[in-house]
Amino acid sequence: MSTAVAIHEEAHVPQPKQVGRPGGFLRRTNFLTALISGVVTAGVFWVVTDKITTAVAGAGATNSMALPSGLNINITMMYIGWVIGFMAGIGAFAGPIRWFLGHDLTHADAEYMAGKDMGREKFWKFTTDHKVVGIQYLVVTLILFGFGGLLAMLIRTELGATWTEVFNPNFYNSIIGTHGIVMVIAMIIVISGPIGNFIVPIMCGARDMAFPRLNALSIWLLVAAVPPLVSNLLMGGIRDGWTVYQPLADQAPIGMIGYQICIITFAFSTGIASVNLITTIVRMRAAGMTWSRTPILVYGILGSSIMGLVWFPMYQYSQILALSDRTLLTSFFVPASGGSVWLYENLFWLLGHPEVYVIVIPATAGMLEYLPVFVRKPLFSYRLAVAGIFGVVGLSAVVWVHHMYMTGWAPQSNYPFMLSTEMISIPFSFLVLVVLGTMWRGKPWKRLPMMAVYAVVWNKVIGGITGVFLSDTPVDQYMHGSMFVVAHFHYMLMGAGLFGAMGVTAYFFPKMIGRYLDEFWGSVGFWTAFAGFQVTFMSMFVAGLQGMPRRVLQFDSLFNISNWISTIGAYIIGIGMLIFLYAIIESWRNGIPAPDNPWGGKTLENFTTTPVPHENFPVLPVVTSGPYDFGTPDPYELADDAIMQQTEGAEKVSAQS
Amino acid sequence: MSDTTTNSSVESALSPTTGEPVEVTGARDKLGVWMIIVSCTTGTIALLVSYAYLWSLNVNGAWAPTPGHANWAPVWPFWVIFTAMFIATLIMWNGYRGLSKGNVGGMKSAALLSSLLLLAAFIGQVVQIATFPFGPADGGYASAVLWLAIANAIWLFVAIFLATAIFNRTRAGRVAQENPNHARLVAMFMTYLCVASFLGCVFTTVMQESPNTNSPPFGTFSQ
Repeated sequence: MSTAVAIHEEAHVPQPKQVGRPGGFLRRTNFLTALISGVVTAGVFWVVTDKITTAVAGAGATNSMALPSGLNINITMMYIGWVIGFMAGIGAFAGPIRWFLGHDLTHADAEYMAGKDMGREKFWKFTTDHKVVGIQYLVVTLILFGFGGLLAMLIRTELGATWTEVFNPNFYNSIIGTHGIVMVIAMIIVISGPIGNFIVPIMCGARDMAFPRLNALSIWLLVAAVPPLVSNLLMGGIRDGWTVYQPLADQAPIGMIGYQICIITFAFSTGIASVNLITTIVRMRAAGMTWSRTPILVYGILGSSIMGLVWFPMYQYSQILALSDRTLLTSFFVPASGGSVWLYENLFWLLGHPEVYVIVIPATAGMLEYLPVFVRKPLFSYRLAVAGIFGVVGLSAVVWVHHMYMTGWAPQSNYPFMLSTEMISIPFSFLVLVVLGTMWRGKPWKRLPMMAVYAVVWNKVIGGITGVFLSDTPVDQYMHGSMFVVAHFHYMLMGAGLFGAMGVTAYFFPKMIGRYLDEFWGSVGFWTAFAGFQVTFMSMFVAGLQGMPRRVLQFDSLFNISNWISTIGAYIIGIGMLIFLYAIIESWRNGIPAPDNPWGGKTLENFTTTPVPHENFPVLPVVTSGPYDFGTPDPYELADDAIMQQTEGAEKVSAQS
Repeated sequence: MSDTTTNSSVESALSPTTGEPVEVTGARDKLGVWMIIVSCTTGTIALLVSYAYLWSLNVNGAWAPTPGHANWAPVWPFWVIFTAMFIATLIMWNGYRGLSKGNVGGMKSAALLSSLLLLAAFIGQVVQIATFPFGPADGGYASAVLWLAIANAIWLFVAIFLATAIFNRTRAGRVAQENPNHARLVAMFMTYLCVASFLGCVFTTVMQESPNTNSPPFGTFSQ
């Protein structure tokens, strides 16, 4: 890699007139003002809506749960008020208003907004620097995992205590649904949020994301989306699983509105983040970083962002229309008045299944990114890895119906979708093959990130093979709705996604935080969680094969032993995760300081200082070689090159003659 | 890398925040807007699929508005609103082309006129929603049409914001011959809105009576 001079200097750039101090209104806004503004606006929206709904004729109408539409509207507007108020209070609207009025930011404004020379305060503000946003995502992700994990412990406690009923059945169902959606949200952002925002722009050789203000908008929209979801537990809960199938959702208590507002808001956040990541990757890669020199993690984030961008609106609209059914009494999904539950299921699964790949692809690509670093070998078949990623992205569009085999919807489509679902295992296998090929005859450097590779390959193979079974229509008729399905998707989402994310986080932790993740406690936590994971979900496979249905509080004593074992395993996971969390916190505070190139990697983030400076690079880099040029070239490739040169030489000679 | 040249050129406008030529930031913005359009298109498809789905299934025979209580919506207002959007978009594109040749006044007029037309379309859309011959609870057709109209109203609101901003920014000299990108981006987005609105018009015009006149009962799933 070499570098070239290419840096902007504000002195030569004509600046708009600076009005007031740099940053303007944003100097007065932070998380606290956002909270106050959100709560106040929510209250105002409630009061105003209540006045209107009680004044307007028809407010006495009820939905299918016999809940007055007025109450539903009030709560919906309260949540909308919360989101609007929170975003106003953090300063998100200052930019659009300024733009609308014809004012542009000055360089000084932009630097203030990026948190330059600001202390820790910048983490509590509408800060545009991608590194700050990455850290914000990391913290939010950890909080979500903590909350979702706590709910998981409650679930397993209930299922393990076979001799008694710990929770009220409705509350149990609510924690099931809330655990599911909280974990899905956390898993969607676990790589794309922290790593995508912090590392990818640096890895591409850019100074920031393409749209820094949209970047800040995406994280704060996510923060605004969470409280409505959590509050559902206080308002009757979401008792219908994370899929909130219709018409159960329409008949559910008012806590469902929190779920719907959360998803609608989160979809905006995800869409904005996807636009930003795609544009950054496509338009802002360093000079010389051709597509064949682009790091594989960047491809993974690109693929994940494309899927999120294209499919998330389907999920978002499914919730908008469901909310409309509840509040305006429309009938998209209410069969009694012309709606269709199949319509809901189609809209939901159009995102619901690609979302698995949104989660797993970045984690896998992250592992492929650091694998060559730890075996000091080039990535085996880089192009196969890219083909695998985009094969999954392409096929993700045509697999959703395998979630609907048993619904009775278009049975004639079952077999084509069975085929497409089984086909998607082929590009996935490419990725596993690239992992194995890269490790082949290598001498891995046995550090925590490398350990995660072994764990994920194991989990992904089990999750993948059981997935092939479930994609098979005849097998699915038997296994559908059983604990076997629960174990399968946990092997994919947690086994491949979360354990992969732990490895990726361990790898990039030194660059992001400036200190190494504690190897000892990190490994202890990781392997403890891994062992607990196997105990929990292997046992759950057994329960599923025995015929235990999912989402039940009480079950036959036949399933007692497997549930006891699963619960013990879950507690072991909890202990492991707590140890891993301790490693993160302790390393963040007192870890070993990391050098500029913590692992001896060849991608661009290793060619800037640690901690990463404000604009990432003193001069923008120029890429002159591939990201995985470790060791000696592959002898087979050398032979190929020799043959190619001979062929080209022969062609030239024949052309001249 | 092309977007990292030094700022010695005085011909090309530079972004005040990053110091890059506006062509570079403009190309970035353009891709970003395309991505937003892709995302919005999926949302539009979700609405149109919902419309077509309920229309074709006619669940429990409840697609059509309740006879004697509600009726089909007249079609012409959809087309009038679409026509206003279409003309506003043409005007915005025309203003942008003029701006590229140095006609700043033309851009200002175009943005203003476009904003006014969009405002008229928005008012028309709100009036149409308020005067639909059905309520939200009057079956699948009522639900689907209502949400097509609501979505159009929301997008019109956004378009008014954008077009008025272009007027303000042209007046302030931020949108100029050497930096016309934002006008082009707004025109692009308005074009997408026209396509979405047009599809909505086609659906509401062509797909009224459900072809499924003998739909089986699906059950009500009521508690």
